[in-house]
Amino acid sequence: MTFDLTLSSADLLLLAPEIFLTIWLCVVLAVDFTFRQIDHEKLAYLSVGGVVATLINLIWFDYTGVQGALFKDMFVLDGVAIFFKIFVLIATAMVLLASIDYVKSFKFFRGEYYFLVMMSALGMMFMASAQDLLSVFVTLEFSTFGFYVLVAYLREDQKSSEAGLKFFILGVFAAGLLAYGISLVYGETGTLIFSEMVSVPGSYGLAIGFIMIFAALGFKIGAVPFHSWIPDTYQGAPTPVTAFLSIAPKGAALAILIRMFYVALATFKPAWVLLFVVASILSMTYGNIVAIAQKNIKRLLAYSGIAQIGNVMIGLAAGTKRGSDAILFYLLTYLFANLGAFAVVIGVSNRIKSDEIEDYNGLNRRSPFLAAAMLLFLLSLAGVPPLAGFIGKLYIFVAAIEQELYTLLIVGLINIVISMYYYLVVVKKMYINEPHDPTPLSVSGSLKTVIFVGIAGTLLLGIYPKPFIDWAVAATLMFSNLNTPAASAPAVLTSLAGG
Amino acid sequence: MGQLALLATLFAPFLGAIALLFVPNREPLLVRAVAATSAGTALLASLYVFMAYDPDQGGFQFITKWAWSEELGIGFHIGVDGIGAPLVFASAILLFAGIFISWHIKDRTKEFYIFLLILAAATIGVFMSLDLFFLYFFYEMSVLPMYVLLGVWGSHTKGYLSMTDSEGQKLRDSVGFILNFGANSKEYAAMKLTLFLSAGAVFALMGILLIYHFSPVQTFDILVLREVADFDGTLAIIIWLLVFFGFASIAPIWPLHSWSPVGHAAAPAATSMLHAGVLMKLGHFSIIRVAYEILPETTRELMPIAAVLCVFSIIYGGFVAYFAKDTKYVIGYSSSSHMGYVFLGMAALDYISLTGAVIYMFAHALATGMLFAMAGWVYDQTHTRDIPSLGGLVKNMPFLAGAFVIACMASVGMPGTVNFIAEIMIIVGAWEKYPFQVVVAVLGIVLTMAYLFKMMRGLFYGNMSPEYADARDTSQWVDRLPLLVMIGCSIFFGIFPMHFYNVVRSTVVPMLDRINQVAPVVTQNTTGLLP
Repeated sequence: MTFDLTLSSADLLLLAPEIFLTIWLCVVLAVDFTFRQIDHEKLAYLSVGGVVATLINLIWFDYTGVQGALFKDMFVLDGVAIFFKIFVLIATAMVLLASIDYVKSFKFFRGEYYFLVMMSALGMMFMASAQDLLSVFVTLEFSTFGFYVLVAYLREDQKSSEAGLKFFILGVFAAGLLAYGISLVYGETGTLIFSEMVSVPGSYGLAIGFIMIFAALGFKIGAVPFHSWIPDTYQGAPTPVTAFLSIAPKGAALAILIRMFYVALATFKPAWVLLFVVASILSMTYGNIVAIAQKNIKRLLAYSGIAQIGNVMIGLAAGTKRGSDAILFYLLTYLFANLGAFAVVIGVSNRIKSDEIEDYNGLNRRSPFLAAAMLLFLLSLAGVPPLAGFIGKLYIFVAAIEQELYTLLIVGLINIVISMYYYLVVVKKMYINEPHDPTPLSVSGSLKTVIFVGIAGTLLLGIYPKPFIDWAVAATLMFSNLNTPAASAPAVLTSLAGG
Repeated sequence: MGQLALLATLFAPFLGAIALLFVPNREPLLVRAVAATSAGTALLASLYVFMAYDPDQGGFQFITKWAWSEELGIGFHIGVDGIGAPLVFASAILLFAGIFISWHIKDRTKEFYIFLLILAAATIGVFMSLDLFFLYFFYEMSVLPMYVLLGVWGSHTKGYLSMTDSEGQKLRDSVGFILNFGANSKEYAAMKLTLFLSAGAVFALMGILLIYHFSPVQTFDILVLREVADFDGTLAIIIWLLVFFGFASIAPIWPLHSWSPVGHAAAPAATSMLHAGVLMKLGHFSIIRVAYEILPETTRELMPIAAVLCVFSIIYGGFVAYFAKDTKYVIGYSSSSHMGYVFLGMAALDYISLTGAVIYMFAHALATGMLFAMAGWVYDQTHTRDIPSLGGLVKNMPFLAGAFVIACMASVGMPGTVNFIAEIMIIVGAWEKYPFQVVVAVLGIVLTMAYLFKMMRGLFYGNMSPEYADARDTSQWVDRLPLLVMIGCSIFFGIFPMHFYNVVRSTVVPMLDRINQVAPVVTQNTTGLLP
């Protein structure tokens, strides 16, 4: 295997967003070091500007249909890659804006914060393009390094340090699993590139290798049983970092999961469908039931995130093009609702320094705007029309019923009702209970922007989802060959999978 | 024109809710004016739709169809038939009345009206949806505002069914009390209602998804599905049961009713009105729309289930209403009892009885709306709903007492009100097929008389406790207008029912012909329906 590293200018074009962002984050760091007295708020806007410029670049790529592969398919730019890059960058821009007030409370390293967030985003952009196990490993670790630092950013807060340590140890363990899995797969197949694995015969080595890789990625997306780091890390990390962690890495890791299972393992579909059915049922049920008992809003959102990933995996279990469309669309709905909810949490904790659900009592009286926004975001997460989450869930369910995954469908539907309970408990605190302290809460302009973007996304995707559905459908055109009827799977597996 | 009127009926309340977002909370009069304007627009538009519906032509009219997502086979497809039109009208009447009934709400007026408008608009949306997706969309959308409305502006349900019998022994509402965990709070009532209805909704959604998957064309469009979908065997039975019990939980059929009286009791007056008046009809309507249209043969085979359960609804609801001491409980249980009549009319699958059932839904919406509105007024004046402690209010409230008598008469089904026409049609139509149920239904009317007159006597006659001496009558026009509108409609359609009857019958006849296999079930005729 030889690598050809000569690049033409046309090839460089494919890398333009990444190159631009790399330069930009160096600029941000340089500005921070050169002008020590600079207001960090300006740095934040500088960073957001860079992210938005990259975003525009990618949207232009999507619009003009720029696609291609570099370095022997190690780096591809196709519909899925562009989708997930845009996804990660929207999340990054929103998180950067939402961080501004929070960062004011840091004593040190305010400038580096923005640099680290953008560096993680850069790593995740590369993840979205990884089409090769080696680049999967490198990009995954690249994106995680930034998070190791960010999670433990509050040096004087024990919880933050604890969160950082937990995240680091389990993250490194996952990396080890990933590397071992990759070595097994390489030993069995002799290749690292997804598209070349299609024709290899199945073997135990291959199966174990891929299960290990799945475990490592399952750690990233927080699927049961690889979720144990999530609640503590979410609770301890600075809230904007939690918001970032709850959405961007999940998106990027799902890009890899979709590619790996849809491209490399397309021939073994009946086997991995079962894997996803089990992981999905566990995630949804565990996440929703444990969320009921939570007293801290960040932990509640952590468990709700575990449950949401269970919903996403219904789409993976469907294993069809419709399934991948549904996942992409669902992630968009989740992006706006989840980031919006975290933005409200940031807004509240900036003022009252607490994340306890008890302290949300009477939020409607203290800030009708924050309460109404939170109501919309939570109901969207619960899947109530006319909000985005409902369309996302319905899309996923349609994908599942086309593959006749009835067990999964029934569990998913029941979980909607369970999840509604704990979201409504928060609604009850905000609207029905009276506040302990009725002073009004003010919201800063930048945070308001983020919340408005979240509301706009949640409503638009719920009321007029057509362009977004069309985008998701167009992005996954390469999986069109996957529309195999459910009946082709072996009888035992389909019956286990609910057929 | 009719198309525009239909769209206006649906979107006026939504636009009103959006407009209210920009009205400051410190100007309550402007808030009310905006809400009343949008509700008034919806009322006039829906009146036009109802009157302009052409019974000679029949079928679905005033259709609007916009592609919404070709990928999933969803279209924004609305229109009304002879069943949808009167129910849209009833929803608009109750919304309009509800706005005025809530005129004196002081706490967070703006938010209250926003949620009320969304609730009403969503129910109106269900009645005109011709697409299963949008039917579910609006259905689920109507459930959630109830949570906030009950929780924030509701009242605690003190003295829930812990009533005593003549020997001082406590009587309890069996199933309802077991599920109650002894909680009487409005939060509990709100949560129970929302979870119960959402659970019912996901069952129905499962049925809808099965219809979508197994129909020959992957679409949610009801008009296409009724022409091409042909389900039989176990699959049809499963879908029918999911759809029936999913939607019947909101209806509420016994034994899925326990959320309903608690919810009624906890809700503020306007919400109770909409809840009992139209929200409960979403169940019957959705069953007619989905099961009767798409699964006609299975409906014929399985509808006797409803005929059996409706007996329990009628008797159980009636008896609990007789023993309940809380005004809203009496009306709430009477509603659940009366919904049994609608199920009886539906189950008989007879032209006359089904027409009667549809008219009954309309009639009941008005009668119950009036009763809840007045119970709410009495509660606002006296701060109690406990019937034994009240009495003699007729001295202070002559107008209200008079209106209350009319409302009771309407609810009982006195000739001259539209309820009479509906009741007599159900009884006559169902006699041939279900004589036993009809006997029960007639006894139920006697029971209705007993508990309503008992409540009327308890509230307005007898001795008045001095602490309620300063209770006032409805004197302002804003307080009397909603009652007069509802009474007026009830009596007008009671005396001139012919247009109403023709409208409903024009839809009921072809529908029952398909169910009773007089007309072909599957025609495959989708000209102009498929893109």
